[in-house]
Amino acid sequence: MTRDLTYAEALREAMREEMKKDKGVFLVGEDVGQGYRGCFAVSTGLYEEFGPSQIIDTPISENTILGCGIGASLVGMKPIVEMMFADFVAVAFDGILNQAAKVRMMSANQYKLNLVIRLPGGSKNGTGPQHSQSLESIFMSIPGIKIACPVTPYDAKGLLKEAINHEDPVIFFEHKKLYSLKGPVPEEEYRIPFGNARIAKEGKDLTIIAISYMVNVALEAAAIIKEKHNLDVEVIDPRTIVPFDLETVGKSIKKTNKAIIIEEGIKRDGVGAEISSLIMENFFDYLDFPVKRIASKNSIIPMSPLLERAVIPNKESVVKEIEDLLII
Amino acid sequence: MKLEENKKLQFLEKMMFIRQFEYKIVEFARTSKIYGSVHLCVGEEACAVGTGFAFKKEDYILPTHRGHGQAIARGTDPKRLLAEISAKETGLCNGRVGSMHFFDKENNIVGCQGILGAQFPIAIGVGLAINLRKENSIAACYFGDGTSNQGLFYEGMNFASIWDLPILFICLNNLYGMGTHYKKTCKVDIYEKAKLFGIKTETADGNDVEEVYEKTLKLSEYIRKNKKPGLIELYTYRWLGHSALDSRPYRPKEEVEEWIKKDPIKRYEEKLIKEGISVEKISEIKASVEKQINEAAKFAEESAFPEFTNDLEI
Repeated sequence: MTRDLTYAEALREAMREEMKKDKGVFLVGEDVGQGYRGCFAVSTGLYEEFGPSQIIDTPISENTILGCGIGASLVGMKPIVEMMFADFVAVAFDGILNQAAKVRMMSANQYKLNLVIRLPGGSKNGTGPQHSQSLESIFMSIPGIKIACPVTPYDAKGLLKEAINHEDPVIFFEHKKLYSLKGPVPEEEYRIPFGNARIAKEGKDLTIIAISYMVNVALEAAAIIKEKHNLDVEVIDPRTIVPFDLETVGKSIKKTNKAIIIEEGIKRDGVGAEISSLIMENFFDYLDFPVKRIASKNSIIPMSPLLERAVIPNKESVVKEIEDLLII
Repeated sequence: MKLEENKKLQFLEKMMFIRQFEYKIVEFARTSKIYGSVHLCVGEEACAVGTGFAFKKEDYILPTHRGHGQAIARGTDPKRLLAEISAKETGLCNGRVGSMHFFDKENNIVGCQGILGAQFPIAIGVGLAINLRKENSIAACYFGDGTSNQGLFYEGMNFASIWDLPILFICLNNLYGMGTHYKKTCKVDIYEKAKLFGIKTETADGNDVEEVYEKTLKLSEYIRKNKKPGLIELYTYRWLGHSALDSRPYRPKEEVEEWIKKDPIKRYEEKLIKEGISVEKISEIKASVEKQINEAAKFAEESAFPEFTNDLEI
């Protein structure tokens, strides 16, 4: 049976199912239990169902909140750490860079961390420079962690269930604009293995690899391009950027000979920079022109709506970039 | 507390073992048999042994960057520890990480800490897991005087206190954070900082192994029984530098000499002789320790360096 759930409901269902199965799964963070039920209400109802042994409210201390996850997973539990906003994980950066990411390799596999770090990222409603960032690329350069960035409710649930049971720390990016969006989610048990991209839309003329919410922007832009220019854009959602499914991307490029990467993070040293290099190294001969990166400007994410719009890619700016590229 | 003679001899043996182990590393460092950096605990042996003997097998241990003694007192195989420090594949972590970052799962050592203060949040997570799973263990979180100035120390005290976590925080106050005296870095005594959070505290002469043992045991049993945190501050001194080849110009000669007079091992030997242990018995222990250290050194030297394996790329 499949029903429509919001992205937030899908995440909640993933946590609920895993918590029921295994008492070692718990959620820890600021206001996840009795207060807000998660800053974006993702954990609504879970405290009532599981109580304080699996839904744990904390003081405002991101560094130690992350430590709760590292320490508990070191001794065999499966914690889910929620940061109120992805930006706040910077306070706990040592825990990721020097601790969680390194435990397995440092201990020569004596210890493995089943640890999920949920990060509500991206821009929504002018939350401004310290509450809107897309920080995927920063974590890409840290060996030892996996990075998931689901877009649909189906993927949100399947990837979170996989992440909870994964034996390396997983940074789990949830774009704030996605929480209220609905999509079909089966009631039956499923997980999505990491490193498997999803073709969000098939096409033969141009490949777009889009990250997180930019998948939806790419789909909107693709519809406009189809209508205006009768070109079929293929949109690929990698779903996890570490590990990255280069094979699916390669197949698409061999078909379209053109590649664009769209992300909400800033352009300099962004996710697109890495994917672009991978494409150049592996599929250079198939390309009609250099890989194009569309990303946020190397700036803060401003609060004022026109400025915010000027910094972050949107469907109109993406359409224009595609048109410029194809010299239409 | 009346200690059995056997226990006393074990204390002495372990302290001697740790000292000879550390001096073997100095010898290795001088002859370039050591590749990475090391932090030695000569002078602090009573802290390691007195605390280490107070724990149970099911307890979790978080040593500092100066953790050889803490691990040996816990029961870590010294051969594999020395091999680790010598970057050899027979080491605890296949020689990957050396002196400052090793783990020993067999002995519930959940990782030494190269980032000062990072042990606090991890200890909180371990303590939380102990409570969630209703275990009877405690977490022992070692740190130095300098590390008590990290913000994470205060977060740790707060979490341990509000959540009633079974964690024993053990401060090895050796007066210096690298080359800076504690008095220059904070106006408040370390145990006083913990008191502010309602944490039960204790202080001890860190060069008196029996005092360290008895007070640690008492406090850890309080923690185990009441599921509440505790902090013990041990006053001691590191004879050598911050790292192996540090010439330590920042410390007055008189201060060093004063502390060497308080040598925890010599002091304990004298005490045991007064109590009737024979000089021959002590020499016997010394000789046996020396033999074991030489075996560990041989094991480390004869082991191979590790080769790259795919699990080193994630």
